[in-house]
Amino acid sequence: MKTEILHSKLERYLAGKAMPAETRQIQAWLSCTEKDAQLSPEEKSLLELEILHEIQAYTAYPLFYPKKKESWWQKFAAFF
Amino acid sequence: MSRIVIEDQALIDHLSVNDTDAFEELYHRYWCSLYLYCLKKLHSPEAARIIVRDIFISIWEKRHELPVTFSISSHLYAEVRKQVVKSLNNKLADVHEAPCIEAWLSKEFSVESLQAARNPVCKIRIINKPSELIRQQTNMMNKTEGQTTLEHIKWIFHSLTNRLSLTNILSYYKN
Repeated sequence: MKTEILHSKLERYLAGKAMPAETRQIQAWLSCTEKDAQLSPEEKSLLELEILHEIQAYTAYPLFYPKKKESWWQKFAAFF
Repeated sequence: MSRIVIEDQALIDHLSVNDTDAFEELYHRYWCSLYLYCLKKLHSPEAARIIVRDIFISIWEKRHELPVTFSISSHLYAEVRKQVVKSLNNKLADVHEAPCIEAWLSKEFSVESLQAARNPVCKIRIINKPSELIRQQTNMMNKTEGQTTLEHIKWIFHSLTNRLSLTNILSYYKN
């Protein structure tokens, strides 16, 4: 499919003006998850932290809602 | 490290009282599947990263407005699909980027590729079931379900008869 055609289809879909067939086509594409991409464990943990830091930087929630330090018995109890 | 699994709904309730731990727990639960989905659809790690980030920022910012019946998984499912379409639309609007994505996009939007989405979901689920994997890896692979059940019944019957005969022998000797 030509990108121009797809672009106009997506425009209509986002505006809620797509034809039923176009909606079905786009939704079929969105639902098609046969082959999943994979991340290595190192890559995954690094990315996980990076995105979380970006969220924290944007919302600044650690500044407004700092974490309370757990007491020793709470840390101990968490193991059980 | 706690082994208690807290339900999503409980985490959402905690979120409304500015519980950052609950928010981070939700993030750790869902970020990866969202990221991989976006990566698969957009072929762009940067776009996937932005989508995941923006979705969680919006959850944090709307934490006081979340309805009582809010379902995080349904929300994420709908939101990620919407964001993927928006991102793709922006890419297509970009004169420099559109020709680069045409190759894989035309392939993914072909009838053959979209046909996969119409396959029944239960088929995929059955293959991924541990029992099915065990069945495939053992010699039961070529046997039908009926044959397997018959073998199970045979096994139960044999074990029962063995046990009964053993108890009979024992009782005989006792007497």
